[in-house]
Amino acid sequence: MPVPLSPEQAAFLQGPVSINVAATGSDGWPVVCRAQGCSVARDRRSVTLLLSARQASAVLAALEASGAIAAVFSRPASHATLQIKARGTSRVPLTAAHRACHAQYSSRLGDELGSLGYGSDLVHGLKLMLSSSDLLALRLSPEVIFDQTPGPDAGRVLARA
Amino acid sequence: MKPTLESLRPCLDGAVPSVVATCAADGTPNVAYASQVHYVDGEHVALSYQFFSKTRENVLAHPYAMVQVVEPGSFRHYRLKVRYLRTETSGPLFEYMKAQLAGIAAQTGMDKVFVLRGADLYRVHDIEAVDPHLPPAPPPPDALLRLRRTLDHLGASDDLAGLADRALTALTPAFGIRHALLTMLDETGSALYTLASIGYAASGVGAEVALGEGIIGVAARERIPVRINYRTGDYAYQAAMRSADRAASVIPLPLLAEAHSQIAIPLVYGGRLLGVLYAESEQDAFFSHSDEDALVVYGRHLAALITQSACEPDEPEPASTQTAPLPAGGEPLVVRYFASDHSVFIDNDYLIRGVAGSILWTLLNEYAQSGRRDFCNRELRRDSRLPLPDFGDNLETRLILLQRRLAERCPDIALEKTGRGRFRLVPGRQLKLLAG
Repeated sequence: MPVPLSPEQAAFLQGPVSINVAATGSDGWPVVCRAQGCSVARDRRSVTLLLSARQASAVLAALEASGAIAAVFSRPASHATLQIKARGTSRVPLTAAHRACHAQYSSRLGDELGSLGYGSDLVHGLKLMLSSSDLLALRLSPEVIFDQTPGPDAGRVLARA
Repeated sequence: MKPTLESLRPCLDGAVPSVVATCAADGTPNVAYASQVHYVDGEHVALSYQFFSKTRENVLAHPYAMVQVVEPGSFRHYRLKVRYLRTETSGPLFEYMKAQLAGIAAQTGMDKVFVLRGADLYRVHDIEAVDPHLPPAPPPPDALLRLRRTLDHLGASDDLAGLADRALTALTPAFGIRHALLTMLDETGSALYTLASIGYAASGVGAEVALGEGIIGVAARERIPVRINYRTGDYAYQAAMRSADRAASVIPLPLLAEAHSQIAIPLVYGGRLLGVLYAESEQDAFFSHSDEDALVVYGRHLAALITQSACEPDEPEPASTQTAPLPAGGEPLVVRYFASDHSVFIDNDYLIRGVAGSILWTLLNEYAQSGRRDFCNRELRRDSRLPLPDFGDNLETRLILLQRRLAERCPDIALEKTGRGRFRLVPGRQLKLLAG
């Protein structure tokens, strides 16, 4: 049973946040990759992550094996961080809306890092890394939402199915 | 070709946060940010343990993890397949990470709640470059070339006073270091005193740092270099905490109000700690891993030169020594000495304490009794009134310290060098010596 995101959480996930996704490989070793954008469904019960097929190959293989996924979203400007988990994911066709989301995402995250004083080399590298042409869309319905903002409360459950 | 862990050291400076993925015993993955991923050696990294997090719970049950690090100048990502080995809660690795964490914590506004509880050690089993085709970061300045140029500026060892000054000024042309201190371990081995500085309004000569306190004290106690790349508001990790005694409270360390980068390098020669070289900058991430390597080598070279300088024989004693009467007239300078800590006050203002205070008191008494002004190091080393340790360099550095404190705070009494191991007391006023 998925838990709905709050409107604030939905806005946060679709903002200029770093997104990283983890799964557990068939050998028991966890794997991780960076995502290239996120869109939240209108009912806020599902989230679509945009991934580069090549960058995410190990994560995608792990998801084939076990299905369970964790994704962490962190805003560089505030360090505010959320983690969501789900027991399963499904591949969905890539839409024009996803492509628009992707284009906007790398631009907004790059601008955010630039405004924080990260150099132009890093921002340029970020835009190169997040402009993959082998994009795919992965949908998941969050079952647990954690506050992961650095500090003693990191790991606190905000919502659970 | 697989990247080596050494080549990823720029990724481990905390500029871009690293991510760590773990999984629970039931296979549920977890992904979180790591405050600190520390380079230990070519096969190991350490992660900071501040809170009992899900990451930690997972690796204690199932020691496999993946760490993703980012190269700051290029945004290239690397994935480290790691396995948890153990947690260290004391020792050099722990102390280094604790000091660094203070810097990182301040950067994230978490300086009040980030306390290192342990250094979690991991073995690196594999490294994967995520985007090998992405352009690499611009190459950093060549630290080896910087070191070579710095050694050229340092030059040969002549006298210790000149060496102490050049040790700091030589850092400016190549490393761009403009704010630095040379601190020496005192005879008790429990504190360091400032012998020379560059880049501050007040020299701070004579300012003390307790062993184990602040970045300088930690570098000294653990005999490790400590580098903090971001401004730290953590009081304990400012260059030093001043102890509550009267001497330390009178001479403050002349530090930058807001240092964004700090580095402390122990000066070790032959297994013996001589002091700590400290440098700081108003820029974030001013000192790279390679700069740290180069400055560690520089510190060892400097320690050898200081030791060598102290071993140079004194010049032979002249046939006669100068005497001179006390200058007549005028209000006498009141010199008060406290035997408990060998502290000397001039007209109620603190001047110096410890060995340097004791030397001054001995010289002034000798002068008051006999009018003698010329002295040599050898007689001081033999003088049972002085609390001197076995090491000769300590006497020489104490004389430099005394000479500098007098020049700054009491120009009416000067110490002039008259040759190697020889010096002259030059009082400009009548003296009134009071003990206790």
